[in-house]
Amino acid sequence: MIWKTIKVNFHRLGSPPTFYRLAEVLAPWLWGGFAVCAAIGLYQALYVVPPDYQQSDSFRILYIHVPSAWQAMAGYVVMTILAVIALVWRIRTVEIMAMAGAPIGAAFTFICLATGSLWGRPMWGTWWAWDARLTSMLVLLFIYLGIMGLYAAFEDRRKGARVACILILVGIVNIPIIHFSVEWWTTLHQGATIRLFSGESTLHESMMPPLVWMTIAVKLMFGAALLDRARNDLLDQDRRKGWVQSRLGETA
Amino acid sequence: MIPDFEYAFYVWTSYGIFAAVIAWQFIQPQLRKRRIEAEVREERALQTGSYE
Repeated sequence: MIWKTIKVNFHRLGSPPTFYRLAEVLAPWLWGGFAVCAAIGLYQALYVVPPDYQQSDSFRILYIHVPSAWQAMAGYVVMTILAVIALVWRIRTVEIMAMAGAPIGAAFTFICLATGSLWGRPMWGTWWAWDARLTSMLVLLFIYLGIMGLYAAFEDRRKGARVACILILVGIVNIPIIHFSVEWWTTLHQGATIRLFSGESTLHESMMPPLVWMTIAVKLMFGAALLDRARNDLLDQDRRKGWVQSRLGETA
Repeated sequence: MIPDFEYAFYVWTSYGIFAAVIAWQFIQPQLRKRRIEAEVREERALQTGSYE
């Protein structure tokens, strides 16, 4: 019974007006959650946590660099799941969601690369090194930009989305490469400090709370921005359809 | 109020980039939504001849 209700509600999300309404309700809550979590996380990161004994205050960059890097990769995994659903079941709202994830993922990848560079300069003595972790992250940025470009290159948006979904599936190979790059090759970038599933984290527990808050914050932000962008794409594509006309008639 | 950090330039520039990118992710969809809605209303007004 419950399973059937979940299934029916899931299929309802394929309906553009239902999806639009849901996104309209959910997005402000996610933005609000992001604002609260980010406020707590940033306060702790900048005022509460003591400086690192080796890296001093420069280690505070970790609180935006690491959550952004995780989100850049997690966002890609989410897009891959959406791309599989879009290609198999041809659900238009899912295609739109998969495409909407690319600019947000690219933004997080850019933050990760830029803040990594700003952290690397005082600690490594260089802005950039062609090591495996940095290069594979740069490749991720190019993949995101490629997906956006490919989607925009087609006049038929659905055709463009399907082709870009295939590129998403091809690009997923880069995610394990990024994750294991510090183990497979000798890199300037340090190995994993925080281990969620295996082994012990080497980050001191006093430094952990802001990282947790910022990680939750960027995840909520990804969700909010994804819904905002997907809603706009839907509005743009369906601008001549009755449900958009009647919606705008209500809000005019 | 503003903490005095060692490596302050690198720390604040990083947080600044983060804030700017996140703000853009919030603002850009709002601007696009407004633009699409204005275009739809314009198209409708052209068809009906009514700008009310």
